[in-house]
Amino acid sequence: MNKTALIAFFFAAALPAFAQDAPKIYTLPSPFDRYTHYLATARFTGAAPLGSFSDQYISKSSFQNFSASLEWVLRNSPFSVGGEVGSTYFKERLPRALYVNGEETISAVQTRTVSQYPIEVFGNYHFLGKASNIQPYVQLSGGISILDYVVYYGSLSNQDQKIAPKYGIGIGSKFLFKKDGSFGVDVRVKYNGTSYKHDYIENGISSLDGSVGIFYRWW
Amino acid sequence: MLKKASIILLIAGLGFISCSKDPVSDLSTEESLVYVTNFNKSANFKQYKTFSIVDSVLVVENDRSGTALTEIDRSLLQRIITNMEGLGYKYVSPKSNPDVGINAAWITNTYLNVASLPLSSYYGGYWGGGFGGYGYGYPSYYQYYETSESYWLVSMLDFKNPNKADSTVNVIWNAQIRGSGIGSPQHIDKMVDSVFGQSGYLKNN
Repeated sequence: MNKTALIAFFFAAALPAFAQDAPKIYTLPSPFDRYTHYLATARFTGAAPLGSFSDQYISKSSFQNFSASLEWVLRNSPFSVGGEVGSTYFKERLPRALYVNGEETISAVQTRTVSQYPIEVFGNYHFLGKASNIQPYVQLSGGISILDYVVYYGSLSNQDQKIAPKYGIGIGSKFLFKKDGSFGVDVRVKYNGTSYKHDYIENGISSLDGSVGIFYRWW
Repeated sequence: MLKKASIILLIAGLGFISCSKDPVSDLSTEESLVYVTNFNKSANFKQYKTFSIVDSVLVVENDRSGTALTEIDRSLLQRIITNMEGLGYKYVSPKSNPDVGINAAWITNTYLNVASLPLSSYYGGYWGGGFGGYGYGYPSYYQYYETSESYWLVSMLDFKNPNKADSTVNVIWNAQIRGSGIGSPQHIDKMVDSVFGQSGYLKNN
């Protein structure tokens, strides 16, 4: 069978079906409902330290956190899956104090920092359809965090670097600027945890993060 | 389309990672100073009554050494005497068998370090950042950098109980003064006061 014949055969089969759908063309669901599509989000995040991380190391909230994500919003499903990379940074300065360790006494202004570059995969479950202007969701994520722990005594530093496992659970919502549009705002509250133990950090790094993002979706 | 988006995401990610931070750039000279003191826990400081001090500062730079007595060295030694007297010790000449002797030294160490970029690239900015190697004739994945650190080292020696067997004297206390402001004369009194102030166990009266 040559190519022309094949195409003709295909149209012969497809056209009658298409013709039957044709009258309903203006009531077709949104393309975002019909196709698996892509959605990219850039976020700015404020993070409040929690638990032992806050008690023993840094209690000051951080507003130097950013991330970007790309997700695949699956057709005929309330789920989307994607990846997110970011940067988070906690810092706290303590006034001059004495740090006694056995026979050694150190007097210093301590600057405590921890930077993380998380790389994660995530899954979202959406409660409303893709055509809805408001799309609340819950999120589970997991991945790694490229972590840099530095405590400065004055201008001297004590550093530890590690790649640590990371996880998170969040709840959020997308708000489209216009119905069926491509752009919108994403608001998310998320618990983030990193398994890490070193020096002052005895039981991981945890924080409650609130983020605001801008997203763009396309198919 | 997907490919393009992934690349943008990756570039955005690298952009975040290459942001370098220097969290201590805003420290004042005084705040940058670090005082580290150590003592010999078997020493009973109550037994020492008199002390003497070197007449100049020992300057040690890598494996070379010499002595110096500049304005700042003089201030340092003078302030040590003031503090020791405040703690109840009597200042005597080195010839009259002091119970303890005090040494002061300015030590500078210079290191040549090698960082391999594939391991260190994710914290790029730390050592000046950027990808060195070009024009140096070294493999491009190696980065060479030199660090130099100086500090004051003040030591207290036990002349009262020397080890006769091997002709040594014990260091019963020492103090390191580190940080970017250690060479500033206006902070020298504060530095010396701090190292003695945090060593209450030296008190003798």
